[in-house]
Formats: sequence, C-alpha cells, structure tokens
Amino acid sequence: MDVKRMKWAESLLFFIGLLLLWQLLYTAACSWLGWAKPYAIPNPIGVLRCIVTLFSDGTLAAAVAGSLLRVLLGFALSVVIGILLGILIVHSGYLERNLKPLILGVQTLPSICWVPFAVLWFGLSEGAIIFVVVMGSAFGIAIAVESCIKNVPPLYIRAARTMGVDSFELYRMVIFPAALPAFVAGLKQGWSFAWRALMSGEVMSASMGLGYTLMVGRDLADINQVMTVMLVIILIGVLIDKWIFGVIERRILTVRGML
Amino acid sequence: MYLSLNSIHKQFRSGKKETLQDVSFTADKGEFICIVGPSGCGKSTLLNLVAGLDTPTSGEITLDGTRVTGPGADRVVMFQEAALYPWLNVMQNVMFGLKAAGHPKERQMELAEKYLKMVQLWHYKDYPIHQISGGMRQRTALARALALESKLLLMDEPFSALDKQTIHILRAELEQIWEKHKKTILYVTHSVEEAVYFADRVIVMAENPGRIREIVPIPLSRPRNIEDAAFLSLRKRILSGVQLSAWKSAAGEFDREEEWT
Repeated sequence: MDVKRMKWAESLLFFIGLLLLWQLLYTAACSWLGWAKPYAIPNPIGVLRCIVTLFSDGTLAAAVAGSLLRVLLGFALSVVIGILLGILIVHSGYLERNLKPLILGVQTLPSICWVPFAVLWFGLSEGAIIFVVVMGSAFGIAIAVESCIKNVPPLYIRAARTMGVDSFELYRMVIFPAALPAFVAGLKQGWSFAWRALMSGEVMSASMGLGYTLMVGRDLADINQVMTVMLVIILIGVLIDKWIFGVIERRILTVRGML
Repeated sequence: MYLSLNSIHKQFRSGKKETLQDVSFTADKGEFICIVGPSGCGKSTLLNLVAGLDTPTSGEITLDGTRVTGPGADRVVMFQEAALYPWLNVMQNVMFGLKAAGHPKERQMELAEKYLKMVQLWHYKDYPIHQISGGMRQRTALARALALESKLLLMDEPFSALDKQTIHILRAELEQIWEKHKKTILYVTHSVEEAVYFADRVIVMAENPGRIREIVPIPLSRPRNIEDAAFLSLRKRILSGVQLSAWKSAAGEFDREEEWT
C-alpha cells in the first residue's frame, strides 16, 4: 500500500513540476525576454481559465458528447468490417496473397488523406466524418483479426476436431475464445486509430465536436482554447485505453494465468 | 474385428519415400494396443490417420463397421500436450466435448463428475488450468477424453512430457481405469517399457519407409511389474528390434566420410 502511495506522490510531483516549468518558460519567453507573443503560446493559468469557461457554458460537454458519439459509431462499423475482412482473409489463400498486402498498404495512409473523398461523397456531414473514422481504423482491425485467428495454437483446433467439434461450433467454442486476448489488443489499437482519424475528420469538416472546438480556438486566435481541447483529446484517449480496454485485457489475462 | 486398418499407405507431397507403407492390423474390442518405433517411423502419422485428422493415400480404416472419413467423437485423441483450453476451468474442460455433443447440462455435469472422480481430480474441478501441475493437466485431458465414452481412445505419447515420478503414477492410474472399463485403446509411445507395461499386443514399427516390423503379444498377467524377469526379457527383445531400426536410420543423418575428402 505504501509503495502505491509513493508512486502516486511521485507522479503528482512530476506533473506539478511540469506545470511550474511550463509557467516559468511562458513567463520567461513572453515577459522577461520578449522572444514570443503571448497569443502564440498557451499558459497554464490561461488554459485553466479556458477550461472553466468551456465547461460552464456547456461547450465542452457538448463537444465531448458529439465526438464520442461519432467515434463510437465509426468504431463499431470498423469492428464489423474488420472482423468480416479478417475472417475472409483467413479462409482464402487468394485474398491473403493479394488483398492483405493492399490492406497493409492502405493502413499506412494517414487518415486525413481520406478527407477530400469524404467531403466529395458525403458533403460536410456526419457521414463524412464517420467515413474518415472507418477508413482510419477498419483496416488495422482487419489485420489484427486475421493475425489473432492465425495465431490460435493448431493443437487447440486438432483436439476440438477429434472431440467432434467442427465448422461454426469450432469458431464459437475454440477459435474466438482462443483469439480473444490478441483480438482485444487489436481493438485497443484500432480504437486509437479511430480516435485520431476522428480528429482529422472533425478538424476538416465538422460543425461541432472536439476537433471543431479546436479549430474555433484557432479562428479566434485563442491558443489557450486550442491547448485545452488538445488536453481533453489526450485525456479521453488515455481514459478509454486504460479504463475500458485496459480493464478488459487485464481480466482476460488474469483468468488465463497470463498475467 | 473392431478396428481394422487395411493396407494403409501414406505419402506426403513433400516426401520422396512413403511415410507409411502397407500397414495393416486389426484390434478387438477392449484391446490395448501399443505402437512403438524409432522417431520418424510414422507412428504419430498412423494415429492421425485413425483419428481422421489426416487421410491415407490409399487403404481403408474401419471402426465398428464404419469407415473413417474424418475426425469424430467416436475416436477421441489424447495428445502429448494436454491441449486443455485456458479460458475454461478443469470441470468446464471436461464438459467441453459433451457440450459439443449436445448433451443436456445435467448430463454434462454428471459425466464430468464421474470421470473427474475416476482420475481423482474432483477436488480440483474449479481450478483454472494454469494453477494445476503437468500431471494433473494430463489427468484432466484423460477425464475429458474418457467422458465422451468414445468407441476408441487414441493416445499420442500422452505421458512423455512429464517427469518420471509422475509417469509411474499416471501409468498405474491408466492401467486401473482400463482394467475396470476395458476401453479399446491405441497408444503410441517411444518407450518400450511403457508399451510392454500396457499392451495386449505391441506393434513394433520400422522406418524409412514406415512399416510394421512385427506384432508382439504380451501374455503377462496384470498389473505388471517392470522389474519382473519375464517383463524385462520381453522388453529387451522388442527394444533390440527398435534399436536396430533406429541405428540404421540415425546413420543416414550423419555425414558420410567420403563427403569430407
């Protein structure tokens, strides 16, 4: 227990130090030395003030809710598409040889590259942003699904087959549960792709949401608002990674004695 | 004639020589057959063919009048590694095959209980797989295989990854279970001692190509004592046949002298 508290204290000190350093650098650069203009550099107090403003007028809550709704929809679509594509590739040597390299290639494309298509096909709408999210994360999930199924120990499958388990039942009783830890790891990565892609989409073509709020900050030349939104984006990304995927992952691995 | 293998040939696409050449034998219901031979003689391949996990190039395998065409719950296999599922506990693992066979839940529990008690693991029924020892895992796998009450039990060196002490305990346990229930068992092993301990008849294989060298009946009374004179002499006799073949094949794995000059 004491060790845990020590670690907490250590982290707390680190972040307080970081904030102090930030304020110091800001004051030094903008006031003492005059190297930078105050409107080009955010400062902790300004960001804090901005958080309070955005929070109290409801902008932040609406932006977070809007963004989360989009990313959930886009991510769900990506998972469905990714699972279907992944299973297709596993079952077809032809697709594995030809489609998989293509998917691997497309996956390296930064999702912002899909924005022109999105706007042309869907206009400045929700559909456009969700399209960008799907293009940003579905392929990564497909590759993860393919590899997690491929990595199921063959012995598990052989044993099941000699016990009379085959085809669909084999998937349900053996392949899916065996692939689950790697699948969740793939989902976690897919989630971070989706979250980033969402920001690309929102920055380019949204009329609400975190990405949009960030761009409003730019348009108003309010660098503190830009910084505030960036912090919120990081916070949500980390929270979902740690508190949703992290918890699920840990539970699965504990049951199997892999932790 | 319960199990019958009729002139089985097996050639893998990559291999030049046949892995199995003209293998034929039969087993009666309730018979314990052991297959021994040097590594690479195709004994595991033979077991896979009977299991239906692989198909022979030519020849026919029948069990209780039905031709083997693929894997099925009437020929359960116990592997060298326990092949238990880590997301299920001991009890759930034993119930796995029963669930697949479509038994109602109460029947699954009933059978799982019966066989877990038979291998003396009932106390550990709720344990996760990673918390039990290698020997207990193999006993769980045995209970899982027995619970399906298959016509034939196929065992592929099931105890060879365990330590000596555990092997002796498990052997005695399997022997007792077999004596009581007279299951038909096809047991592949590289240990001649194990084969003589268990078998009604030992099938001795030779390699390159894999084929049956001889079939040795073991007329000793049970339970057998591995230090008994009759036991030792039978063991010695079979071992000399296996070793002869093993030496011949091992010679082929070393460089020949002329290749160096």
